[in-house]
Amino acid sequence: MSLSQKIFFIIIISLFISCQKESKKIVITANDYHKVVDKLTEVMIHDVFSPPVASRVYVYPNIAAYEVLNSGDSNYMSLVNQIKGLVSFSANTTKGDVNKKLAALIAYLNIAKELVFSKVDVKIYRDSLFTVWKTENEAVFLKAKKYASPYTEHILKLMHSDNYKETRNMPDFNISSENDSRWEPTPPAYMKGIEPSWGSIRSFILDTPSEFKPTPPPKFSLEKDSPFYKELRYVYDLTNEIKEKGNNSEEIKIAKFWDCNPFVVVNKGHFMFASKKITPGAHWIGICQIASKKINSNFSKTVFAYTKTSIAISDAFISCWDEKYRSNLVRPETLINKFIDDTWTPLLQTPPFPEYTSGHSVVSAAAAEVLTDIFGDNFSFNDTTELPYGLPVRRFSSFKSAAKEAAISRVYGGIHYSSAVEEGFVQGMKIGKKVNTKLIFTR
Amino acid sequence: MLTLRNILIFSIFISLCLSCNKKRKGMDKPFLLNKLSEKISGIDFKNILTEDLEHSIINYIYFYNGGGVSAGDINNDGLPDLYFVSNQGENKLFLNKGNLTFEDISKKAKIDSASDWNTGTTMVDINNDGFLDIYVCTVSGLLDFKGRNELFINNGDNTFTERAQEYGLDFEGFSTQAYFFDYDKDGDLDVYIVNHATHTITSHGKASLRNKRAPFVGDVLLKNNNGKFTDVSEKAKIFGGVNGYGLSASIADFNNDGWDDIYVCNDFHEDDYYYINNQDGTFREELKKSFSTISRFSMGSDVADINGDGFQDLITLDMLPNDERVLKETEGDDAMYNMQEKLRKQGYKDQYSRNTLQINEKGDYFYETALLNNVADTDWSWSPLFADFDNDGHQDLFISNGINRRPNGLDFKKYVSSTFKQKSEAESLDWLFKSINEMSSGKVTNEIYKGNSNTFKKKTGSWIEQKPSLSNGAIYVDLDLDGDLDIVINNLNNFAGIYENSTNKKRNSISLKFNYKINNKNGLGTKAILYNSGKKQLKQLFSSRGFISSVEQKIHFGLDSLTEIDSISIIWPDNTFQKIKSPEINKTLSIDYKENNPVYYYPKNNVSGKIFKTANSIDFKHKEDFYYDFNREKIIPYQVSKLGPAFAIGDIDGNGFDDIYLGGSSGNVAELYLNNGKSFKKSVQKQFENDANYEDNDAVFLDADNDGDLDLYVATGINKIRDSRFEVDRLYINKKGKFEKSRNRTLINPLNTSCVASYDYDNDGDEDLFIGNLSNPGGFGADVNSAILINNGQGKFNADLTFKLNSKVTDAIWIDINNDGQKDLLVSSEWGAPKVFINSNGKLSLVEIAENLEGLWQSITAYDIDKDGDKDILLGNWGLNTKFNPTLKNPLTMYYGDFDQNNRKETVITYSKNGKKYPVNSKDELAAQMNIVSKQFVEHKDYALKTVEEILSVEGIKKALKFTVNTLASGYLENNDGDFKTFKQFPKELQYAPIGSFDFIDVNKEKRVIISGNSLSVNTYHGGYTSLKGVLLKSITEYDFVSNFGILPFNTKIKGIKSVEMKNEKLLLVVSNNDSIQTYFYKK
Repeated sequence: MSLSQKIFFIIIISLFISCQKESKKIVITANDYHKVVDKLTEVMIHDVFSPPVASRVYVYPNIAAYEVLNSGDSNYMSLVNQIKGLVSFSANTTKGDVNKKLAALIAYLNIAKELVFSKVDVKIYRDSLFTVWKTENEAVFLKAKKYASPYTEHILKLMHSDNYKETRNMPDFNISSENDSRWEPTPPAYMKGIEPSWGSIRSFILDTPSEFKPTPPPKFSLEKDSPFYKELRYVYDLTNEIKEKGNNSEEIKIAKFWDCNPFVVVNKGHFMFASKKITPGAHWIGICQIASKKINSNFSKTVFAYTKTSIAISDAFISCWDEKYRSNLVRPETLINKFIDDTWTPLLQTPPFPEYTSGHSVVSAAAAEVLTDIFGDNFSFNDTTELPYGLPVRRFSSFKSAAKEAAISRVYGGIHYSSAVEEGFVQGMKIGKKVNTKLIFTR
Repeated sequence: MLTLRNILIFSIFISLCLSCNKKRKGMDKPFLLNKLSEKISGIDFKNILTEDLEHSIINYIYFYNGGGVSAGDINNDGLPDLYFVSNQGENKLFLNKGNLTFEDISKKAKIDSASDWNTGTTMVDINNDGFLDIYVCTVSGLLDFKGRNELFINNGDNTFTERAQEYGLDFEGFSTQAYFFDYDKDGDLDVYIVNHATHTITSHGKASLRNKRAPFVGDVLLKNNNGKFTDVSEKAKIFGGVNGYGLSASIADFNNDGWDDIYVCNDFHEDDYYYINNQDGTFREELKKSFSTISRFSMGSDVADINGDGFQDLITLDMLPNDERVLKETEGDDAMYNMQEKLRKQGYKDQYSRNTLQINEKGDYFYETALLNNVADTDWSWSPLFADFDNDGHQDLFISNGINRRPNGLDFKKYVSSTFKQKSEAESLDWLFKSINEMSSGKVTNEIYKGNSNTFKKKTGSWIEQKPSLSNGAIYVDLDLDGDLDIVINNLNNFAGIYENSTNKKRNSISLKFNYKINNKNGLGTKAILYNSGKKQLKQLFSSRGFISSVEQKIHFGLDSLTEIDSISIIWPDNTFQKIKSPEINKTLSIDYKENNPVYYYPKNNVSGKIFKTANSIDFKHKEDFYYDFNREKIIPYQVSKLGPAFAIGDIDGNGFDDIYLGGSSGNVAELYLNNGKSFKKSVQKQFENDANYEDNDAVFLDADNDGDLDLYVATGINKIRDSRFEVDRLYINKKGKFEKSRNRTLINPLNTSCVASYDYDNDGDEDLFIGNLSNPGGFGADVNSAILINNGQGKFNADLTFKLNSKVTDAIWIDINNDGQKDLLVSSEWGAPKVFINSNGKLSLVEIAENLEGLWQSITAYDIDKDGDKDILLGNWGLNTKFNPTLKNPLTMYYGDFDQNNRKETVITYSKNGKKYPVNSKDELAAQMNIVSKQFVEHKDYALKTVEEILSVEGIKKALKFTVNTLASGYLENNDGDFKTFKQFPKELQYAPIGSFDFIDVNKEKRVIISGNSLSVNTYHGGYTSLKGVLLKSITEYDFVSNFGILPFNTKIKGIKSVEMKNEKLLLVVSNNDSIQTYFYKK
């Protein structure tokens, strides 16, 4: 290399370096937040989380992002001392301007990583974002990262103290019983009862898991004129009627649209495997996203909406599961096969947990209540959540009308009795209302 | 000096030499059975599969089951010819030209089937014209497969004409194989056709579906009426439901009544069928009565008398892998609990995914010994063949193996699930088909085992090449007429395998072929019994064997070095027999049926000699409660909550006859039966009713308070809802026949008490107690202590503080082993060695016994088993017929520690292979107990082959409590002048299952030990161990199964056996866990 060549080379290099140094602004939009939520949904589908566990995976990253974004904010209130277990912690010492939106995303990703099985997937995604931000402006990025750190740690502490770890070792649901009213595993995979101890997970705003304990289901009876048997028979007759109408009937469309069962097992030749879908919670997180996008919510409102919705969904699952493993009620499929028609199958696959109350009804009602509070009543939207899973778009005039449809879809599907849907809806509404009144998000 | 040219030449020379060497090495015939190149044999047949969207394992579950092969001399030149089935391609017929060379005459012979999917083949002379015909099974009516079963009638000139329809053999359905035999003894050959179900919604229904005949799917029995076959299945009581996943059958006269029976292997959830011939044109199905352990995914099967007792034994194949990686990457029985529970409710029998080797006990029942013989896990196995490959006079065993793609790969399942999205039916099939390349290959080596009429020993790698393959149908046949059996295999997507047997003339043999009556010329169903110097070998001629294949219609006996044979008895299908004295050996004898042969009388079981007679004296059924240990501790190896019923005898009312206490499981009231010498009457005990919530594991009558009557101590187990108030032992004081629960008389024992034994060990005039604890109800692996309670003379008990025993105790007995007039204490324990305490005036000292006896000991007693005048110590272990197979070098290890740091300890069990410790549990099972495992290992392939240290961290393992097991053999400690330093294994008849109890009885005034056990508390990984059918033992050389004395074989877990004196006779009580008590009278 001649001297001139060397010089030239050095110039090029220094040009390159100075180019890099010329800092860009790191612009974070609501859309960036939607993207990380979508990424989390994708990983969750891969990991096959059960509906209650999925609700927990959604809520903590949102809370972390919300807290990073809003501590000391003039519009939004911190959730410290508002939700159970979230105590105040040492304030941040980061000096000067912090890109709080960026910090919120960082916190979200760091919490999300700890919640999934496929940690590596989230980590790779996170690190690629980190590289982009670092390239855009290293100083701003590092500052935001530093700012997010104590929040992340605090929320991790909150997360680790919610009794989740302890419930991993709690007993499975005992299926060796000859009591006809007691839940038992259902076809085709006869999976064990999912999350029998979910009621003992710490809730966010419920005083106790049984705060909105629904009235018990109709007394189990196989007497033809008992209220219970009538409900059982209704499921049988209705589904037969729907089956006769065929696949294009509105009822079948509704049932399929709201299936949201991550445990559906498909039989093909030699194979029996799960066909993965999103959970009911994920569906409502999706609706929250649709609403936010529709009105072009800014970053803060978007985070707020997700946070509030996911808290409502989480507590709805705790409340619902608390009831499910209190009443331990048998599914219609088991009884119909045993006592009415051994060739009958429901339109949807029966999910692997007790019947009462309907998880969809509780969760949908709670989420709709909260979303209505955020975005207003009569908020019409095109529900595109299920598009990636091969289902069509459905249009709703309001969150509540969507929730009502979600609830009734379970009876159409042949997996719930009417009481579970009706009482479940009431249970969910009460939870949503309490979230609306108890939690103060805006000043 | 080497020029370049020279070098070149030199190297060419060298490589020539090398290749010469190679060739020579190949000629060395390194194996007993050496593969013959297709170039030499001329057999260039390949069963090539073409997969496409419409035809693959996605929409036809048996797409990789392969094709069959059949052997027979079609041109009567003495040399067996070969017919190969191709599923989709052309079937081939090869004419044997001698010297292991063959000519493909398929084209000329016109033997290719017109059906779309071919499976099994069998050769049979259907029209008895002296020329073998060929029958081919096909699948039609499934997907777009058209066709029907085909019958190629031999024209006698090496050409064939398909004429199935004329004979009524043009069955249309999902056929796997045809079995020709004369079920109704009318002299002609009928046929049982095994057909298979496919998965449909209805095939997953109740077991009773088998009663409803389903066309295409259900097996059929066709009766031969003068050459025309008609379906008599219904009349003959043959099941034919949509749930009949039939993959093979074995025909044999299993019970030696002269009539041929059928065993049918059904895949998936359907039970196998065991049809006993009623001798009136009908069958009765008796699987549940005669078999206690069967394969789940039953595939091929074969029968032969492998132990020389004159009764034919059975092997059924399944798909349990042996390879550690495959074990952890594929789905097995581990996750089957819910499914099994459901299937049980639907009326199916418990089945286990492993091969079974069913030993026929005098035609009455079978006991299963595949694990003991190490033939249980040969992976994806199709065709088993019993034959004497080394001509040593013992049956050996060959198993063909391999599946093109493993459909049960866990990562594949997960991959499909992650990627599969809701699509239309057609789209999803398309997508699935495109994913099949993601399935892992299931190429595995065929296996061969040498038999010695006692056990089997693997010889793969020395008897035959150890090389992964996809082998389906297989047969043995002496292709070159040199007296040994060669092997022919139909391989998938590869050349057929011809394996020449190199035994040649080194050992003698004899072959028999028959010339029977006109309608069954080749004499299918004929038995031959070869007698020599007190030994006998029995064989029966049937050609369809193994899997979708048929052997030559000949019987072959290996003779080892024998140069002459005493005689051979030929029992013809009409049950007449003729004897051939000193037949010529090392050749094929052709034996003609003779008229006016005498009738053969099968030896009958000696009924008059039966000592025990069924009594039905007590109507008690123990019923387990619903507590299920695996709900709480998901990865423990077996349950410890099913130890009952408690069982004690003693004369409560002082009338001279022993009364009986039978304690119930949690929720069931204990019963006290009072004995008046003639019958039993229940005694109502209010306190027992109040105490129904307790689980009674063991009990003993003793005079605790020294008032002259018997009180009762009950060892208590795990309460069904884990209410600790009901998990303490109880002492009941007898107040004039009324039992009252004492307060503050004994120590509170909250542990899971397995046993209690009383004795005045300190010789102070009152009875003291040994209390044995098995486990802590809170943690399977936790340490537990047992205790001795000293009686203060008034029935108040305190612990003997000098006695320390930290051990998982299962059984204990006070018995004098050193003839000093004082009873000593023997204790058996799990996850540790048995303990022997010598009692010297109330001082108990632990005696040193043989080393390395860490086991899963279940029972202990003392008895002079070697008849040398002193008492030996009998030790009941888990036996050698289990999935655990520990040795000193490769032990079983249990760790108890908090591996996931959630402040709760877990019990993790590992087995060792080549010094490496692997967890017994699958990734999913381990993750169900420890969430961290899911995060650590996302894919099953990441988890496979990981040692326990790699999974649970070296540090975690170090910190954990550790227990090891070095041996599972039951046996005895030989008493050598008071030393117990020699452990001797029991014979194999006592190793078939865990020995739970040794009980003494007097038979004709002579002392005997009755040995019982079994276990159904194990998890689905093990399934169940019920092959210990009961043994009555006099000495180590004199023992026999209890069934030979009039006692029903034990299929349940036996708690214990006791005898009580009645006025005129004695009564034997056989008490089971979760079943009814059995009682038998016998002479005083």
